[in-house]
Amino acid sequence: MATLTRDAQHVATERPTSRARKQPTWQSAVRYILLLVGAFVFLFPFYYMLIGSLQAEPDSTPAGAFPSPDNLTLHNYREIDQAIDLFRSLINSGIFTGGVICSTVVFGLLAGYALAQLEFRGRGMVFNAMLLIQVVPFQLLLIPLYVLIARNYGLADNYLGMILPFAINSTAVFIFRQYFLQLPKELFDAARIDGASELAILLRVAVPLVKPALLTAVLLTFIGPWNEFLWPFLITKEADMQPLAVSLANYMNAVAARAANPFGAILAGACVLAAPAVALFLVFQRHFVSTNLGSSVKG
Amino acid sequence: MSSVSAPRAKRWLPAWLGTQATLGPLFIAPYVIFLVAIFAYPLGFAIYMSFHDYFFTAPGAEVERPFVGFANYATVLADPAVRQSFANIAVFLVINVPLTVALSLVLATALNGAIRFRTFFRVSYYVPYITASVAVVGVWLFLFNSRGLVNTLLGPLAPDPSWLINERLAMPTIALYVTWKGLGFYILLYLAALQNVPKELYESASVDGAGRWRSFWAVTVPGVRPATILVVILSTITGANLFTEPYLLTGGGGPDGASSSPVLLMYQRGIEQGNPDIASAIGVILVIAILLVALIQRRLLDER
Amino acid sequence: MKRIISITAGLAATLLVAAACGDGGQSASESTESRGPIKIWYSNNEQEIAWGKQMVEAWNAEHPDEKVTAQQIPEGSSSEEVISAAITAGNAPCLIFNTAPAAVPQFQKQGGLVPLDDFEGAAEYIEERTGDRAEQYKSADGKYYQLPWKSNPVMIFYNKEIFTKAGIDAENPPLSTYDEFLDTARKIVSSGAAEYAIWPSPTSEFYQPWFDFYPLYAAETGGKQLVEDGKSGFAAEEGQRVAEFWKTLYDENLASREAYSGDAFGEGKVAMRIAGPWAIASYGESMDWGVVPVPTSDGKAPDETYTFSDAKNVAMYTACEHRATAWDVLKFATSEKQDGKLLEMTGQMPMREGLPETYPDYFASHPEYETFAAQADLTVEVPNVPNSIEIWQTFRDAYSRSVIFGKQPVDAELERAAQKIDELASQE
Repeated sequence: MATLTRDAQHVATERPTSRARKQPTWQSAVRYILLLVGAFVFLFPFYYMLIGSLQAEPDSTPAGAFPSPDNLTLHNYREIDQAIDLFRSLINSGIFTGGVICSTVVFGLLAGYALAQLEFRGRGMVFNAMLLIQVVPFQLLLIPLYVLIARNYGLADNYLGMILPFAINSTAVFIFRQYFLQLPKELFDAARIDGASELAILLRVAVPLVKPALLTAVLLTFIGPWNEFLWPFLITKEADMQPLAVSLANYMNAVAARAANPFGAILAGACVLAAPAVALFLVFQRHFVSTNLGSSVKG
Repeated sequence: MSSVSAPRAKRWLPAWLGTQATLGPLFIAPYVIFLVAIFAYPLGFAIYMSFHDYFFTAPGAEVERPFVGFANYATVLADPAVRQSFANIAVFLVINVPLTVALSLVLATALNGAIRFRTFFRVSYYVPYITASVAVVGVWLFLFNSRGLVNTLLGPLAPDPSWLINERLAMPTIALYVTWKGLGFYILLYLAALQNVPKELYESASVDGAGRWRSFWAVTVPGVRPATILVVILSTITGANLFTEPYLLTGGGGPDGASSSPVLLMYQRGIEQGNPDIASAIGVILVIAILLVALIQRRLLDER
Repeated sequence: MKRIISITAGLAATLLVAAACGDGGQSASESTESRGPIKIWYSNNEQEIAWGKQMVEAWNAEHPDEKVTAQQIPEGSSSEEVISAAITAGNAPCLIFNTAPAAVPQFQKQGGLVPLDDFEGAAEYIEERTGDRAEQYKSADGKYYQLPWKSNPVMIFYNKEIFTKAGIDAENPPLSTYDEFLDTARKIVSSGAAEYAIWPSPTSEFYQPWFDFYPLYAAETGGKQLVEDGKSGFAAEEGQRVAEFWKTLYDENLASREAYSGDAFGEGKVAMRIAGPWAIASYGESMDWGVVPVPTSDGKAPDETYTFSDAKNVAMYTACEHRATAWDVLKFATSEKQDGKLLEMTGQMPMREGLPETYPDYFASHPEYETFAAQADLTVEVPNVPNSIEIWQTFRDAYSRSVIFGKQPVDAELERAAQKIDELASQE
């Protein structure tokens, strides 16, 4: 029962850790220094990326990390906006990613729930298949998949064709499953004794409780399609259907040898690509936390 | 616990349809169809290709595709470039996996106890993970150039030839990059696991007189074992499938193939050179190798 | 154990499914008489897009029921993957104005290309327009599976400012023999006028030799391809000399072994660059530049110095339904008028014989391009042999290992590569 109450507590958002004993200040200092060094190492390349995108003249010397104010300009952003239709590309990325997220949330949730709480034949086999999927590299499947989707299904240059290979993110299914495993079986058994149908149990018991895992799954699922280059590149030819990752890579290819400060323009594009992902995480990181993943690591 | 629907709820589904035995498969059907269509079929096709002399043709083109048994596998295993790429991946994993486990656990522990600026730290660790490699690689190339920032700071200690063109250092440099990039995800996994380590254990350890360091080893490390297993297996799988980084950072294989990876070779042979049969053979060998390694890892770590 | 069994069972099931399915899909109707709307692709660099758009508009204006729709694909190595995948999926367009000659053997093997000889008078049309050079573009069966469209003959660009700073005569720099070239390079680097003398990309992609080894090999051998009549010749004397020349440059640190992610020549880090006429547009305004042919061991006259063509051609793909229209569009796009527009808008050399005579006005107002026009008549193409991409990758690996990184002796590596390449070229 103690586990139940603790689990129930954990289902809420993270509570600040408070140790009973007070920490000596030097230990605190070491901790913060370590974290700061880590943060610096992690963030420095992005700082460099941001600064590089704002520079008019490329400067690859170390001094370039601290540019003079008169070398700063928004010109690179303008340049890349002219070359690629940034707005259109962002919308395409949004549709692609949004489609994947919706489909993962709906079907993945069902699958995770079924794997965790329902008894049926073949359950083990599906779970094993899910694990096997993680192992196989995408490049192995690439051309057969392309033939399947472009030729057999006729979905080239089509949002559906873009979404299909990523439609249900297996990691998300894994997370849903682990999360549902964590919920006490008593909850469901009690509902069954009360005579509720399985469907009702799903909708009225499971779904309301799964919100924390939902956010985790959404954030994890977001990253894949948002940054995905190879697949949309193959499946779309129309420039106005391509997501930002592809437009950016094409631009890098085409322009790399020719523009005045291609590096700055490329970095500008890279910043644009990274910005929504970072923003999203910033907004939701408070909820996207530890405790929900905690359930997934128990397994 | 009867906060659910009204007792004796009206059934709008026939009884047998509402049982677990039927709903289970029903719920899981979309996912299974997805798996079969998107993975099983291409995977099966890839395996099929690896046993034939196969190449892709335009629809309607008549071509001979004889069954060749294990010939492709023999070619692949005898190819020194392939063997080298597997060796490179082994080097990569030996550096990347322990480093990932150690750094992410240490940073997660530090982060766990930190109260102030928590958001800032968490965001900064996660940022590399959410940005596309395509975007970030350029910066790394700049930094690790022979006249780049890192070498300038290191001065006389800078390696010559420089990092990415040094055949001994190319793969380790890539390992460093990938570790840096993926750390955010694993830190979060560990943060989660740390929450589940009972506080009482720490308290009783300190009552026993254990310092911070000892309680880290005696309480924290064993306490997060399940997370460690997950981190090890996940980073092994991701590492073995390495493609983007060798492709972008060393332009296709590096100095004398020192940073080629099996998936890079699959891409070159299969897609660039039009030999998907050879590429599939490499891929199948890779998948089997990863499965074996993952199994061994799980066995080893679970025992204790 | 149970897990392994269940996985294997699942895999076996899917294998059966896959084998049963095979590859479905219907073949395109192949009529060389059929007319109708068609799709074309061209590369995505600014100037070519501009040319492409006006060409399509001009055609559509006169042929409203045979409209052309155009899409862009990225130029560069990734275009081969896109095209190959499109051939496999059966959704390739009728014409692709970005077909690399090195990829043609592979596309042909896939059954993706239409032999242009199917059309009446095609071979004559091609040979009349391109002259003797057209031979290099025939396939093994003697047919044309590509139409030689435009070339970018590569020469040595140099930065006059840097040369002057190093104390070298910028108007007539000594760059025609290997010895002269090396001396000049040494002067540049030791005087500090630039970090490196020349900086071809040292990475291992299969197409990199086209911009370091191959142009000089073409020059040194007086116009030979890498593989001629099924045998590779680069391990012989001339090839060894070219390789040794490059090796000296790397050994003495006159060229860098590291890739640079920006534009080293444009940023003034390096004194010379091997590039085609497209570079004039890029550097014209910002740099005082000069251009000379690539060096040879004993110095040849410019009108006898060959180089690599860096050509991009047009091919017709089997997924095309309305082939008669496609052939007419192809002839239209390579007519004298359209070739002239190509020249004007992109500065690239249409593969038409005698360019300066055909477009005297253009060259009068753009004298810088005349050198390239003259050079364009002396170009060597990649050999049209099976497994061509694998051949170039094998070559690059050997070159990288021995010349750039000095891990193995040059002569032995080239010999080994030559043997392997002979095998590959003789496969079906």
